[in-house]
Amino acid sequence: MISKDLVSEWRARRAWPTMLLLGIVVGLVFALQMDVPPEHKPRVVGGLLWLAIFFAGMLAMDRSFAAEREDGCWEGLLLYPVSPTAVYFAKLAVNIAALAAIECVLFPLFVVLSDVPLAARPWHCLVVALLGNLGIAAVGTLLSALAAGIRHSAGLSVLLALPLVVPVVLAAAEATRLIAEDQVGPGWWRWVQFLAAFAIVFITAGSVLFDVVVEE
Amino acid sequence: MIRNLTYVLVAALVTTAILGILFLAPTEETMGHAQRIVYLHVAMAWLGLAGFPVTGAAGTMYLLRRDLMWDQWAQAASELGWLCSGLTLITGSLWAHSAWNTWWTWDPRLVSSFILWACYSACLLARANLDDPHRRARLGAVLAIAGTLDVPLVIMATRWFRGIHPAAPQMEPMMRLVLLLSVVGFTALFVLLLVLRRAQLRLECLVADLDQRPEPI
Repeated sequence: MISKDLVSEWRARRAWPTMLLLGIVVGLVFALQMDVPPEHKPRVVGGLLWLAIFFAGMLAMDRSFAAEREDGCWEGLLLYPVSPTAVYFAKLAVNIAALAAIECVLFPLFVVLSDVPLAARPWHCLVVALLGNLGIAAVGTLLSALAAGIRHSAGLSVLLALPLVVPVVLAAAEATRLIAEDQVGPGWWRWVQFLAAFAIVFITAGSVLFDVVVEE
Repeated sequence: MIRNLTYVLVAALVTTAILGILFLAPTEETMGHAQRIVYLHVAMAWLGLAGFPVTGAAGTMYLLRRDLMWDQWAQAASELGWLCSGLTLITGSLWAHSAWNTWWTWDPRLVSSFILWACYSACLLARANLDDPHRRARLGAVLAIAGTLDVPLVIMATRWFRGIHPAAPQMEPMMRLVLLLSVVGFTALFVLLLVLRRAQLRLECLVADLDQRPEPI
């Protein structure tokens, strides 16, 4: 199912190019807000970067279920001889890949535009990005499936997901700020633990509740 | 008889709370009468917070039993929770203007209150777009459970930032008594409105069922 989604996206190029372009545009617009003295840039870069990742990522996540509905594949997906939990994990994996793709573009873009030393600690950035992805994708996958079953649902999944992912965006932004300010200590570790806890809670909840969401 | 007695009891508790706020609580030295907003604000904040676990619990019961009665409780609790968290923001803003000379500041507790209100709004918005009662109940329950899991994480994340909101201010014994009266009085009102709203939703459901029955020949 993961390869089916990735291959169909590669062939049709429906969601990811739009997502990447939105990410770049949002990133550039946000970068305009970084017209502040250099010493203040690390304070704002984390929040703007993670908001850009969230908005661009939600575009891809929203499409992951809406496309199944539009093309009439939804019933086929439900008849597939696997549990709905397996469908959830497959969609989750594809959404994590989408978020990783947007991060591969936005992290370098923000480093270039803001000139903050994020590249000096690549492994720390990788840990934050991975855990942030897990948290956003866990919530986004569940709510995209939910919104796909609601009429007039265009944009609804973003609206539903935004209040729920605020803790992830907040924690990832703070962890990124601490990396940018070269303060990778117990404070940074606490935010990383928080991101891990959020991901565990919502992946567990998503795998349990997905069965209810896709019920017809 | 019992219903009338309940109305009288709740009216007495709310009246006592309001009279206590207006006349019993001593006037605070620095803020003056504006500080009296706190008694209402704390009660609304508590009820706004308590509404989500109630909604989540009712949603869980619906998923376990598949009885629309539980969805009616969930909807009633989310509507009242939305109202109370909205009133928390308004009363907090009025208090903040007097205390901090600003209507709004990005203090952690203000952020968490706003996110709570946004979660309630998202739940109600999703419900409004669903016609089938069981589908609405099912998806509403999922959102309520996700929101209930999220609220403690929102509170934890926002409070790790340094805030300016008073955590547990020192109060005179009389002030504490009035605060308790307010919390008890408005909680009683919340419970009464919850029961009445649920009864109204039950009637709506019955009327919808009657509408769908075939006309007698």
